[in-house]
Amino acid sequence: MEIMRLVVTGPVGAGKSTFIRSVSEIEVVDTDRRATDDALLIKKRTTVAFDFGRLQFGPDMALHLYGTPGQSRFDFMWDILIQKAHAYILLVAAHRPHEFREARRIMTFMKQRSPAPMIIGLTHTDCSGAWDAANIALALGYPDPARRPPIVAVNANETASVAQAVISLVQFTWAGSLAPAT
Amino acid sequence: MAISTEKLTNILQSFVTSTTDIQGAAVVTPDGLPLAACLPGGMDEERVSAMSAAMLSLGDRIGSELARGGIDRIFVEGDKGYGILTSCGEDAVFLVLADKAAKQGLLMLEIKRTLADLKAVLM
Repeated sequence: MEIMRLVVTGPVGAGKSTFIRSVSEIEVVDTDRRATDDALLIKKRTTVAFDFGRLQFGPDMALHLYGTPGQSRFDFMWDILIQKAHAYILLVAAHRPHEFREARRIMTFMKQRSPAPMIIGLTHTDCSGAWDAANIALALGYPDPARRPPIVAVNANETASVAQAVISLVQFTWAGSLAPAT
Repeated sequence: MAISTEKLTNILQSFVTSTTDIQGAAVVTPDGLPLAACLPGGMDEERVSAMSAAMLSLGDRIGSELARGGIDRIFVEGDKGYGILTSCGEDAVFLVLADKAAKQGLLMLEIKRTLADLKAVLM
């Protein structure tokens, strides 16, 4: 059985824990604690170590999903989790543009530590004030549409939508391993 | 009544200075923010707090998922010393950093006493 480790990262309230809960086949190992910081503006509880979920992917592959905490004070967890990741998805809430900078910071942190392939998942795209993919790509530092990671819209509450995002990530990883990017 | 950071800090300071072989202590929220700290130089309060919260939450999870019950403390033993995390009521976590030379029995007793003092302020 091959195991592929996928990391789900992104700023506070992007939907990382929800993402993993929606798609995991086992009861998710979470480390939620009552939020007392700015996260409280968005949600009551926040991840302090990691979330862990598992998904069987075909007969001989299991996906292990690790969700990071969103706050940068937990960047030692980002570091621990990204070291072993085969690929990762950066979740960004499309309707909170003030968080794009934080998302970009997380992305830079991950890129400095891991060459693993990344895709970008846009959540909350149905909320009012949501930016479109092209503008978010621009905000994240990808001005050229031809040279940017795949961007998928994902509803973290819907199993089918999350599964589609996971498939995109796995496919992108496979494509990269067949023809290494130069 | 508001929590007095000053009182918490005083308790930590007297704990660290009066107990031999203790190098630092901190009280943090379960989501990893500092409430009060008395740490060795070079240790970042915010980072220490976040690590304490992450560790205790994982310990709790091991307690429940692997049927070890409620967690009293988490003990990290390194070749240079100890890091001990104790739950301090619902709203706080108590971290103690001790030298390798510390006597464990004494350490536990001191932690227990200080916990009572801290809880009185946090109530």
